[in-house]
Amino acid sequence: MSWEPTLIHYLLLSAAIFSIGLVGVLVRRNAIILFMSIELMLNSVNLTFIAFSKYRFDMDGHIFAFFVMAVAAAEAAVALAIVLHVFRHKRSVNVDEAQQLRY
Amino acid sequence: MGIWEPLLFWIFAAGALITSSAVIVLRNPLYCAMALIVDFFFFAGLYVLLSAHFMAIVQVLVYGGAIMVLFLFIIMLLNLRDEDLGETRFSLHHAVAVLGGLAMFFFIGTAISLVVDKGAVAEGRTQAAIVAQADEEGTQAVLIQTPSRVPGLYADLNEDALEAGFKARLRSFEEGTATPADGKYRPFDPNQPFEVPPSLRHQEDRIGTVPGRTGLYGTTQPISVLLVNRFVIPFELTAILLLAAIIGAMIIAKRRVA
Repeated sequence: MSWEPTLIHYLLLSAAIFSIGLVGVLVRRNAIILFMSIELMLNSVNLTFIAFSKYRFDMDGHIFAFFVMAVAAAEAAVALAIVLHVFRHKRSVNVDEAQQLRY
Repeated sequence: MGIWEPLLFWIFAAGALITSSAVIVLRNPLYCAMALIVDFFFFAGLYVLLSAHFMAIVQVLVYGGAIMVLFLFIIMLLNLRDEDLGETRFSLHHAVAVLGGLAMFFFIGTAISLVVDKGAVAEGRTQAAIVAQADEEGTQAVLIQTPSRVPGLYADLNEDALEAGFKARLRSFEEGTATPADGKYRPFDPNQPFEVPPSLRHQEDRIGTVPGRTGLYGTTQPISVLLVNRFVIPFELTAILLLAAIIGAMIIAKRRVA
């Protein structure tokens, strides 16, 4: 470990942020913050892709990160629509309220 | 590479860690969303440090722009009052979750550092220095392949080391000691426009003419070439996915389908 950023630094940073996102998913009960934590995890994976891509000096990782972003956008749109729908029925965004997946 | 690259890396890394912790710690979803936006900007900075300029712009536009606007729109539409948020209470559940997160981090961290051979890192740096010096003197460096458990995890991510490794790879292609099957790319052939890659030769020209620059890496051109050639089917499938997501979101959010 030196002061200069190497691949390891990026990987460890990405692992740390992924773990933070994981803790967020486990701890928070607010559905919106839950999805934000998932975005956090997706982003940390993107960082891994791009770090490996730079280190291999080929750009496939960028393409994968690009697809992850597209999937994240689609996921956010559908997830927030579901949150809106649940909120209309339950007057709450607490995921514990919706644990029976019906209303 | 000077002092700026490491300095900026540590600033961005610390910022990303702090803001992503803020996302899961803050109580009000609005503040969480704000922290997440700042976090995405720090990520964009890290991408720039990794020479992924296009991805940095897309990160700001798509994540910092489109997705976070969606989140903020929903948060403000729901207009949660303070009592809706529920009281913050610390329970055993939280402690276990945090422990699980820590365990996850140490698991990944050990897995990463186990494959790192510290000696090989030093060796890689020496080799990069040798190549750089040989290039300065206009001679050819003789590189000996160092055996490694996971080849290359050791490389420094600065431009000098990357260029050195890249040139060594190119040279081995030319000398025939490595076949294209060893690496990912075969050398660029202008007669085969559909044999994708961001051409090795082109990159070498750029490196040769612009010292200290890694040419086209991370810019729009190679990404577009890859997207419409090798990755054209996933690209089109993404379009279908987005269409399905749009329709699905509309149907779910509608009160009643007429």
